[in-house]
Amino acid sequence: MRGKVSRKTIFAFIGPAVIGLALVGIAPLAYAIWTSLHFFNLTKLRKVKFIGLDNYGSVLSDPVFWEAMGRTFFLLGTALPLQIAFGLCISLVLHQPGLSLLKSLTRLSLVLPMATTYAVVGLLGQVMFNQKFGVVNQLLGGAGINWIGDPTNAFAMIIFWDVWQWTPFVALVLLAGLTMVPGEVEEAARLETKKKWIVLRHVQLPFLVPGLVAILILRTADTLKLFDMVFTLTRGGPGASTEFISLMIQRVGFRGFDQGLASAQAIILLIITIVLAQVYIRVFYKEV
Amino acid sequence: MKLNRLPAAAAAAAIFATGALADGHGWSLKKAAEPYAGTTVDVVFLLRPGYEAIEAMLPAFEEETGININIIKHPYENALGEQVRDFVAGGDLDIALIDLVWIGNFAENEWILPIDEFTSNEALVDPDLDIDDFFPLVLNAFGGWNGTIYGLPFDNYSGLLFYNTCILEEAGFDGPPQTWQELKDVYGPALTKDGKHAFALQSKRNETQSADSFARVIWPFGGSFLDENFRSNLLSEESQAGLMFRQDLMQYMPDGIVAYDHAETVNAFAQGDVAMITEWSAFYSTVVSPETSKVADCVAIAPEPTGPAGRKPALGGFSLAVAAQADDDERAAAWLFIQWATSKANAGEYLERGGVPARVSAYADPALAETFKFIPALVESWQDGVPEFRPRFAEWPEITEIVQEWGSKIMLGEVSTEEGARILGERMEAVLEEAGYYSGDKPLAQ
Amino acid sequence: MAGRPRKPLWGQAAVLIAILLLCVFPFYWMVTTSLKTHIVALEAPPAWLFEPTIENYREALFEDGVFKTLANSLIIAVCTTALALALGVPAAFALARFEFRGKRDLWFWFITNRMVSPIVLALPFFLIARNLGLLDKHITLILIYLTFNLPIVIWIVTDQFRGVPYDLDEAARLEGASQFRIMRSICLPLAMPGVAVSAIFAFIFSWNELMFGLILTRNDAKTAPAMAVSFMEGYNLPYGKIMATSTLIVVPVLIFALLASKQLVRGLTMGAVK
Repeated sequence: MRGKVSRKTIFAFIGPAVIGLALVGIAPLAYAIWTSLHFFNLTKLRKVKFIGLDNYGSVLSDPVFWEAMGRTFFLLGTALPLQIAFGLCISLVLHQPGLSLLKSLTRLSLVLPMATTYAVVGLLGQVMFNQKFGVVNQLLGGAGINWIGDPTNAFAMIIFWDVWQWTPFVALVLLAGLTMVPGEVEEAARLETKKKWIVLRHVQLPFLVPGLVAILILRTADTLKLFDMVFTLTRGGPGASTEFISLMIQRVGFRGFDQGLASAQAIILLIITIVLAQVYIRVFYKEV
Repeated sequence: MKLNRLPAAAAAAAIFATGALADGHGWSLKKAAEPYAGTTVDVVFLLRPGYEAIEAMLPAFEEETGININIIKHPYENALGEQVRDFVAGGDLDIALIDLVWIGNFAENEWILPIDEFTSNEALVDPDLDIDDFFPLVLNAFGGWNGTIYGLPFDNYSGLLFYNTCILEEAGFDGPPQTWQELKDVYGPALTKDGKHAFALQSKRNETQSADSFARVIWPFGGSFLDENFRSNLLSEESQAGLMFRQDLMQYMPDGIVAYDHAETVNAFAQGDVAMITEWSAFYSTVVSPETSKVADCVAIAPEPTGPAGRKPALGGFSLAVAAQADDDERAAAWLFIQWATSKANAGEYLERGGVPARVSAYADPALAETFKFIPALVESWQDGVPEFRPRFAEWPEITEIVQEWGSKIMLGEVSTEEGARILGERMEAVLEEAGYYSGDKPLAQ
Repeated sequence: MAGRPRKPLWGQAAVLIAILLLCVFPFYWMVTTSLKTHIVALEAPPAWLFEPTIENYREALFEDGVFKTLANSLIIAVCTTALALALGVPAAFALARFEFRGKRDLWFWFITNRMVSPIVLALPFFLIARNLGLLDKHITLILIYLTFNLPIVIWIVTDQFRGVPYDLDEAARLEGASQFRIMRSICLPLAMPGVAVSAIFAFIFSWNELMFGLILTRNDAKTAPAMAVSFMEGYNLPYGKIMATSTLIVVPVLIFALLASKQLVRGLTMGAVK
């Protein structure tokens, strides 16, 4: 009778968390659904009126929304492979024997970017990537690259910081996967072939897959949520070149004050997020 | 960010000690403020020189009145959102800081009170208030909406041409350009070299894109946002000429000008990287202070250049109005503060400390122009400006977002000026339609 | 693997040092910029050697009130972490130990909250907080941070409870212990590493949060990241001061992360590698 307990007991354990999260998670959501069905502009609260699905219609047919969405996935599609590639290299280097002190130091330093306040990363980006007094251009040998003011460069800069901040995460997760490979199996494989690639592909990779899945899930979610770093670095500019989905919704809701429309955008983003999370978790996570 | 202040009790004691009560007739701030000692007034300030100036003067007011002024500082770009959220939420702000483009919005939402409420109350009104001493254009544009005055002009701007005399002289110019055309065709090529640029026009996708960049080029060329029927006028030949002029002028501006807000622009000028900028008078103290400027000795000021339609300098600035959500004591205390901060008596000190008052009398002394080189150009531009330089109606917050978006796209070359202006116009008209201007529900006021 | 050639170690060392430098350099630059005067900070090309000043810190801490916002951030992060643990640990225990209908969906719902963009909640939460008079209060942020902290706690701790052998519960139950006793006295001590890890994560995420802090606070409850942002777009690019504030925000959390780095790394890999 493993795991059978009374309803009351179950509720006593899980109820507070459910109620807590429902209050802060679901109640606002219900409110958002309500506003999304209304003309609801903060500066015109006297004109609030029910307009059905009009807001959703506007969002779905608004190229600006879909451009922001496309941009967000483009960022994911460029930054994530880089993070995985660099992260894998770093984890393989760290996994090799020898130089243990230097490796401990490196492992320690990998913790730093992840823990850094995202907003500060953006501020730091402003200082370091400034065209004139930025240290990045100086280190590039006095290159006068205009990072913040050029659409392509600004996007590249966002990718850089995203990679800087999250490659360590990928590296550490993959490193943990590598340490799960039983020593004797790895050793045996190494005796058989000199090619590191083959060891990686056939011996180590299976142990890395769960980590890679987790990385995929978390990075997708975090990219859809991405706000702080870009807000402090480019504010979505120049033009709209780095306006990702969360920034765009923030702009509509808190600068244009059209909370009805912004709520509709937010709900659509939520649906996309849930669908993706469902797919990821149901496909890759067989637990529970 | 509370400032040092006397505890209320001590302030009250001070009032008795100095015998303020003895002064039976005649109005005094001390006496008027007596019932409100200990009241705290919340107000949003910006991170700009005019606010630092009044902050430095504040202890005198607090000591005199016992009223506490609680300043909440925000960057300009957050200030509207913060205030709207506060007013919607029925929050703590007792004073509204109103950019001229917000006044229609604030007034229509009844978030602010007309000054009549206070000027009709003898206990509160300073006999020296002298409303007529404000530049009429400024008072009406910054503080007025639909014929009612709500706010008193506080942090006041006019667009001016700041130029670096050292760079200009070196290139053989003995004065600034008179027209926009001259700026582009003569000064542009001559001053853009060795990594330096002739001109910078702040064009970040913020309010500055609408106010300092977009509007600045359409008006002098005879264009405007709206025609007399409130339809988009951006496709008119004149508006298009202005927008194309801006595209053309970009070759003489630093790269990435679309990422320049005021701070970047002022800094580029202060570092000697650009020879000329058109900026608000409010930034004068920044470019002439050796602490923040490398070119402090080379700064000169002229009115903005003229275009085919004449001189149409940018007009912008703020007024302070009492917020309707304040309670009676807070309203009175807030009014006393506003009246004091914008008073004739304080205008001189405000100017000295880096502020720009809107008092005619403050500029009467011709000697002042020696110290504050922006005065003649400023006074000239306030005689006759375009109040609807940016429309001041309630829909501006939505419209400016559209202008910012498409204005930047045009500059980046993502759309042509014509295509961009067409889409911008359509989206702008959609907002105005929704607001009821075309069905006659709303008078065509901007 | 003792008999391997020593030569490749040089290449390895070079790579390691490069990684180390890449990770650390931005912080070096942040700190040195924070010690520059206004003019030096804007010098082009940037100066590497200069006379340091602590003026930026003095101004930030004592004139601009960064100190208070740091205190706010600390209060909020500690409280929300504690609350997330108090609510999340029992829930995790139930998810790991009990069988009931809809368990998988419930777990999924908890985890999904971790994925939701804060902007989805920020707008309505603002309006609700406004109606309840909860704007600019610590409690508001403490509560809303549950939306990402609770999922973290539940995710990691559920995993950890599952790793505790079931036989132990069984034995205790035969002795008549209640489920709560079992959780507290038997499973919790064994799951402590996971609880600690989730607490560390919850704390770091809360400390670093910007968007809610920006929208839901103004003055009294303003958090440090929201403060750092408000220095931007003044009129004179006070990068020295911005970097000083950034340093004040980041250094405590970095020290904390370094001290807890073992647990942190464990946490990252929990659920990820299994």
